Amino acid sequence: MTDALNKFPGVMWPRFHRNNDEHLNPYYTFQDYRQTWGMTIFILMTTALLPLIVMTLIYYQLIETSINTESLLRTERLASNARRAVTFFLEERLAALTFTVNEMDYDQLTKPESLAEVLRNLKLGFGGLTDLSVIAETGTQVAYAGPFNLEGKDYSHQPWFMECQQHNACVSEIFSGYRDVPHIVVAVKSMRPDGRFFVLRATLETERLIQTLSSYKTGEHADIFLVNRNGLLQTPSQFYEGESHQVDISLPAYSDRTKAVISTDRNGQPILIGYAFIETAMAPTSFILMVVKQKAGMMKVWLDLRSNINWFFGISAVIIAIVITLTSTVMVNQIFHADRLKAETMVAAERNCQLASIGQLAAGVAHEINNPLALINETAGYVKDLFTLKHQYKEDTELVEHIDSIIDAVARCGTITRQLLGFARHFDVHAQPINLNDMVTDVINFHKKEAEYRNIKIHVDIPETIPLIETDRGKLQQIILNLVNNAFQAIDNGCSLGVWAEMEDPEHVRLFIRDNGCGISEDHLNKIFEPFFTTKKEGKGTGLGLSITYGLVKKLHGNITVQSRTGQGTTFVVTLPVQLKEETRV
Amino acid sequence: MKLSDILIVDDERRYADMLARRLALRGLTCKVCYDGHTAIDVVGQEHFPMVLLDLRLPDIYGTDVLMQIKAFRPDTAVIILTGHGTEKDREQCMARGAHSFMNKPVDIDRLVAIMTGIKEGDRRDRRIE
Repeated sequence: MTDALNKFPGVMWPRFHRNNDEHLNPYYTFQDYRQTWGMTIFILMTTALLPLIVMTLIYYQLIETSINTESLLRTERLASNARRAVTFFLEERLAALTFTVNEMDYDQLTKPESLAEVLRNLKLGFGGLTDLSVIAETGTQVAYAGPFNLEGKDYSHQPWFMECQQHNACVSEIFSGYRDVPHIVVAVKSMRPDGRFFVLRATLETERLIQTLSSYKTGEHADIFLVNRNGLLQTPSQFYEGESHQVDISLPAYSDRTKAVISTDRNGQPILIGYAFIETAMAPTSFILMVVKQKAGMMKVWLDLRSNINWFFGISAVIIAIVITLTSTVMVNQIFHADRLKAETMVAAERNCQLASIGQLAAGVAHEINNPLALINETAGYVKDLFTLKHQYKEDTELVEHIDSIIDAVARCGTITRQLLGFARHFDVHAQPINLNDMVTDVINFHKKEAEYRNIKIHVDIPETIPLIETDRGKLQQIILNLVNNAFQAIDNGCSLGVWAEMEDPEHVRLFIRDNGCGISEDHLNKIFEPFFTTKKEGKGTGLGLSITYGLVKKLHGNITVQSRTGQGTTFVVTLPVQLKEETRV
Repeated sequence: MKLSDILIVDDERRYADMLARRLALRGLTCKVCYDGHTAIDVVGQEHFPMVLLDLRLPDIYGTDVLMQIKAFRPDTAVIILTGHGTEKDREQCMARGAHSFMNKPVDIDRLVAIMTGIKEGDRRDRRIE
């Protein structure tokens, strides 16, 4: 549980984010792990999400195109059907009028009773007729049947009359005329036996036409209506009636076929317009049939679907992003840890290499110095012998003292060269079972007298739970002796020294040697295991003790660390394997 | 046997001479040679109760000289006196019959004490015989 808790912040704020071990930097495979992390995430995100985005966009494009095509087709079909109905409506009435003028001659038609009879029959047959009138060549209405008495009216200047003269039949626009009621005039021209012509005219109620159109209306976003070629609305429009009955969308160009186009309305909303210029077989009309559909309404189903797809896409993208981020973070962190381990190993190897080369140099120096040293020793010894053994200068104590100091110096040089050689050499390791408590007690016993004399308290606490450890007796003794010596040199009279041990894990034992002496400053801490490094007064220390200890601990496959605070004391921690590995044993 | 006949084998001539003089001052007569082959020849011709032998010689290894001496004169005590002896050298030499192994520079009184010890041990051995 705690393990999982400890790992959690590692995922959120991994170790490589606070990489501050500058001394390891030259050994890392990647210079900047944060950059590597960012690049990894970026590349993975791009390769994972880009195809998804592109495919989605292409899919949208395809769907939209096919919906547009489909809607245009449907609009066109609707307009075509409505056009047929309107055309049929007009043609049917024109045909009825033609039939009438062919069936009855001018004289019969101008009789009010018979005209009224015809009107009655037509009303029965078709309905939606208001009145019926006969107009002579001059444009004067000569007979009338219907609710309004408009006999004698002159229509010669009416546009429909003029058109009728030209085409034998005509269909007017929807207009209010003298009666102020919207209506359509349909008329057919017929020849009299004397060569003059007359016109049979019928007024149609617009209600029928509007109903016919409305029956084609589908859906609440569709609008269907007639306009004339100037854009004046002929039948009411639900959405597109502008000022003075003018339709407020642009009129399409003339075409003899039914067509559908995409356009925009006054608000810039996309609309589909299906249109047809209405022409009857007998006469052209000025009507344009328009079917207008709001694109948004038609797209609604698709837009709803697209919104679902967008949600799906968004959630997927977020999940992909989270998975990529977490995976990359964990992976990069693991690479970082492996790399860090490698870097640390390399730094340690470099340090060992340095120590080894220093050791080689030291050994070389020691070898070369040893022989002249021996010669000085013997020569000085011989001079001393001459003085002392021959009794000639035996009383000259000053001279003997001088020679003694030479011999002392040589002895000290001898110690140094021996230590140098010891530092450089790789002795064989002989593992044997050792009771740590006994060994520490033995070593402490060397210092018992000194401790009593200097009033130094020594606490030894090696629990009985520490097992026998199999290691090299001589080397371990040397390690403990060196560290205890070091501690004795660091502490003042009346201070204390503690030696205790604990198990790090079942395979490693930790030995602590703590003094409350002068401590080691931070500058010196990382140098204390280097050979020839000493803070002792000149001539007092060789600077080899701790570096030899370091080498010995390494030889026993252990580790040594130091914690220290100036003025508070120093703790050396030696970690050793309980059992020295088989291959290193001789 | 008199404690006077000692052979010093060392290529450092002045060192060997000086050591011979100092031992002479202590009543020990010494002979000096400066390389391995000469030493083997000398030991073949004369009988030395004790040999002080350096390990690094210009012609052959000190250990080879030691083996030859011990093969030819098993009762000659050999003390190795070397400038740079390792634990391994010590073990090798002791295994091949050296009586003692010392590193230079050596304290003359200690050397004499060791030689005296060997001599006395020799006597004791003889008494047992």
